[in-house]
Amino acid sequence: MNVASLAGAVLVAMAIFSLFVLARGAAPLQVLADMATSALGSRRAIGEILVQATPFVLAALATALPSRAGLFNIGAEGQLVSGAIGAMAAANAIGGGLPTPVTLALMAAGGIVAGALWALGPTILRVAAGVSEVISTLLLNNVAFLVLAWLVHGRWKDAASLGLPQGRDLATTETLPVIFSQRVHLGVVLAVVAAVVVWALLRFTGWGFRLRAVGGNPEAARRAGLPVGWLIASAMLTGGAIAGLGGMIELAGIEGRVRPDMLVGFGYIGFLASWLVRHHPGRVVAGALLLATIAVGGNSLQLDAGLPAASVNILMALVLLAVLGRRGRAMPGVA
Amino acid sequence: MLEAVLVGAVRGGTSILYAALGETISERAGVINLGVEGCMLVGALGAYATAVSTGSLALGLVVAVTGGMALAAVHAFVVLERHANQLAAGLGVWLLGLGLTSLLGQSYVGRGVDGFANVPVPGLHRLPFVGPVLFDHDLLTYASFLAAPVVWWLLFRTRTGLALRAAGERDEVLHAYGRSPKRLRYLAVLSCGGLAGLGGAQLATALAQNWSENMTVGRGFVAVGLVIFAAWDPRRAVAGAYLFSGAVALNLQLQARGAGISPFLLTALPYLLVIGVLALFARRRVHAVPEGLRKVFESGAVS
Amino acid sequence: MAGRGRIFALLALVAVLATACGGGGQASGASADLSEAKIGFLFVGPRDDFGYNQAAFAGSEAVAAAFPDHEVLTQENVPETQEAERVMEDMIEKGAGIIFATSFGHLGPAVEVAKRHPEVIVLHQGGLEPEPMDNFGTYFGTVYEPVYEAGIAAGAASQTGKLGFVAAFPIAQTLANVNAFHLGARSVNPDVTTTVVFTSSWCDPAIQAEAAQSLLDQDIDVLTQHQDCTKTIVETAEAAGAFSVGYHADASALAPGGWLVGSVWDWGDLYVDIVQTALDGSFVGSPYDGDFRVGLRTGDNPFVLTELGPGVSAETAALIDAAAERFRAGGSPFDGPVADQQGAVRVPEGESPSYQVIEQMDYLAEGVIGEIPG
Repeated sequence: MNVASLAGAVLVAMAIFSLFVLARGAAPLQVLADMATSALGSRRAIGEILVQATPFVLAALATALPSRAGLFNIGAEGQLVSGAIGAMAAANAIGGGLPTPVTLALMAAGGIVAGALWALGPTILRVAAGVSEVISTLLLNNVAFLVLAWLVHGRWKDAASLGLPQGRDLATTETLPVIFSQRVHLGVVLAVVAAVVVWALLRFTGWGFRLRAVGGNPEAARRAGLPVGWLIASAMLTGGAIAGLGGMIELAGIEGRVRPDMLVGFGYIGFLASWLVRHHPGRVVAGALLLATIAVGGNSLQLDAGLPAASVNILMALVLLAVLGRRGRAMPGVA
Repeated sequence: MLEAVLVGAVRGGTSILYAALGETISERAGVINLGVEGCMLVGALGAYATAVSTGSLALGLVVAVTGGMALAAVHAFVVLERHANQLAAGLGVWLLGLGLTSLLGQSYVGRGVDGFANVPVPGLHRLPFVGPVLFDHDLLTYASFLAAPVVWWLLFRTRTGLALRAAGERDEVLHAYGRSPKRLRYLAVLSCGGLAGLGGAQLATALAQNWSENMTVGRGFVAVGLVIFAAWDPRRAVAGAYLFSGAVALNLQLQARGAGISPFLLTALPYLLVIGVLALFARRRVHAVPEGLRKVFESGAVS
Repeated sequence: MAGRGRIFALLALVAVLATACGGGGQASGASADLSEAKIGFLFVGPRDDFGYNQAAFAGSEAVAAAFPDHEVLTQENVPETQEAERVMEDMIEKGAGIIFATSFGHLGPAVEVAKRHPEVIVLHQGGLEPEPMDNFGTYFGTVYEPVYEAGIAAGAASQTGKLGFVAAFPIAQTLANVNAFHLGARSVNPDVTTTVVFTSSWCDPAIQAEAAQSLLDQDIDVLTQHQDCTKTIVETAEAAGAFSVGYHADASALAPGGWLVGSVWDWGDLYVDIVQTALDGSFVGSPYDGDFRVGLRTGDNPFVLTELGPGVSAETAALIDAAAERFRAGGSPFDGPVADQQGAVRVPEGESPSYQVIEQMDYLAEGVIGEIPG
């Protein structure tokens, strides 16, 4: 997996996307050029890409780390949400009396714990009963949004919002500071740091080595005396914790309040970002940036070409499918 | 009120049922298709746009099924020929379906169609309780009543069904009989796409009689969950689909009577039930997973 | 191998910092001179929803026609999250100097953008200003007036005395609509009840169909709604032989049998006047620089009653006219006494609440069946 091959996939995807654009009567080259200028043509736009990429990075890490141990965590979608909920709960519990760094640290802790908790159920099911984490995490994704909706319509509903279901505005002490261009917040840096940390953990620590052993050949690992159950559990819970942090960052960095539509789809796109780079934590940032660029380019589709912004999903899907389509190696058990 | 809830359950659950039946076939053959949501969207737009442009609902159904199959074919190709991870490929297919239908459907939003009206079965629909619940629906819903037993029969009583299930359990056996697991899996995945397309068509041309971007709103993902709930048995998929849409209908019926339970709790119930069942009967459920699928879930992602 | 990804990320950061320090990139915002400014519109749904967004889009087209020298930028399906901020920023970068955020949930993002760009004029449709700002204003019509009048028609036409209301979210505007509709019907039939169901979605046709049906199952024979897309409920009512009262769009063609009346938006004149005021440089201090509400007592309500359907009798029409006269003279649908579901008096006898009070309504009136979910 290298940058050239990823670039090739992007070109193929753009070509096919252009066909669909033509079918709608628009000029593909103009459309793509507008998207590029819109997404990359100014400081602000690049800032938007960084902001959008941040939750993707953390969701991708939440996918990549467990994958090292052979687990498919498709639950980042729900773990992001539970992280936001956990962070909000922490903020509410603190009540605003503490200085910003302390408040934010506690909110981050709340997010991390909540994210790990959301992964706990699937972890127990997997370790104790062999139930695939794919199923359990997938189902819990929907439940997470329902819990968010319940909170936002009920006890967390903002009294000042005239009945619109959303949480209260976060105070300044509860908000990640902006570091660049009006909307780029500290969370962007935290995401990159997280990627480096995960990379280092997997590359340099004994734990990382043991996770990879389990992922490579669980039976051999078991026979070699490794505590496979604990290792799997630690991988899943850490994955959930990372996604939980992502939820906190999105809440405190850019949304500014809990909303029922927040984070929708981000977990799945993060999952895909991890796939784009074959789950290498170091490259996850690149994958997330690519998908974020495409996502941000979608605005221009409407403003400049009059095409629905959601059409940009075509491009995202084609890039992914092109990359997946280059795999040649058969996985064990799938003919 | 029970009658009203059941009527609502059947009415709202048909699209999910079709998708769940399709997904059951696919997963029985060892291929999980998370893109079924995309296939539903393609089916919904296909049926709707065709009906609006040509006035023919029948043609609309053909387009819906074909479109669903075409999108599923992408999934099948990437997974079966290129050995891509099924989960990632499925999500990619979902995004592709979402983007394509948003783009191509833009000019059809809100146009309104003369869709499938309710066709009460003469005589039967007057039966107390059973009448409205079963005999006062649109054609596609009636067809779905037949679809579930037909799918069950195809999977469990025919040679092809047996071979298909073998592809999902022990494909080595098929080689001994000279049958190709890959071809059977193609058949399964395409069937999934076609059925999901039909489900989407029912949503757009019978239930809502309208099209808007992303109108399935997660019903395809619900169907994937329901297949697990149903332990890959098409008959139980019926119960699952109606349970889910019943919860939605119950919420609205309760509201209409002035009683309120949190709608979110009600909607979460089916998911929590599945997880609860998985937790309690884990050992049994684990054995119910088609072998081939279990290998998909467990094969590592390490490169 | 993994290092390559990190280098990519580092390069990206360096590029970003370089442009930051170099001060490159386009100017991030129109100048205070609006002579070349573009005009941006955000919609939460599609332009063809046969309802709220369609009406707003039609208003944007009126603006485009009235100001041919100012390009109009539109974006549909903008979610009510921080993404709306991004969209507005995009528009500003493309030269928008006036922005209309047309959905209720865009208020927070609109306020943020207004604070960040004092040279851009931001208008929000339907909300209330959290604090006074020179470049920000909200506007809306007093929707509850025609809704009350429609309620009169509903109360007169209903044979069962049971009315149904399909709502989306329990925002104050919606509660005020439910209450206005109910009070209007009550003025004709004191025993009438209005059952309200909340779908928790501005436009999900499948759930709308379910909700409408659940109301019809209760012997309700008049349906109305507060949704963004309005077709499905009208069609469901018509199929069941019930009466329809429309909202946002004139759906009379869809319900030839049961259409009573509806209310529609005619935003064109208001939008154009706001833009003209802004372009003239007189926005600050104008009525639009604040919470602008226009209703029958002050002028032309952009929310108007449609033609009365064939099912409305002459006596009812006279009652509706009388109500309109009352409003023009300064009255309100919520003239006291108005009691809530528990019987507590919310508007005392003799009082006529201002729109600020009405737009913060948090209760359902006596005789309304249903609970505010939460």
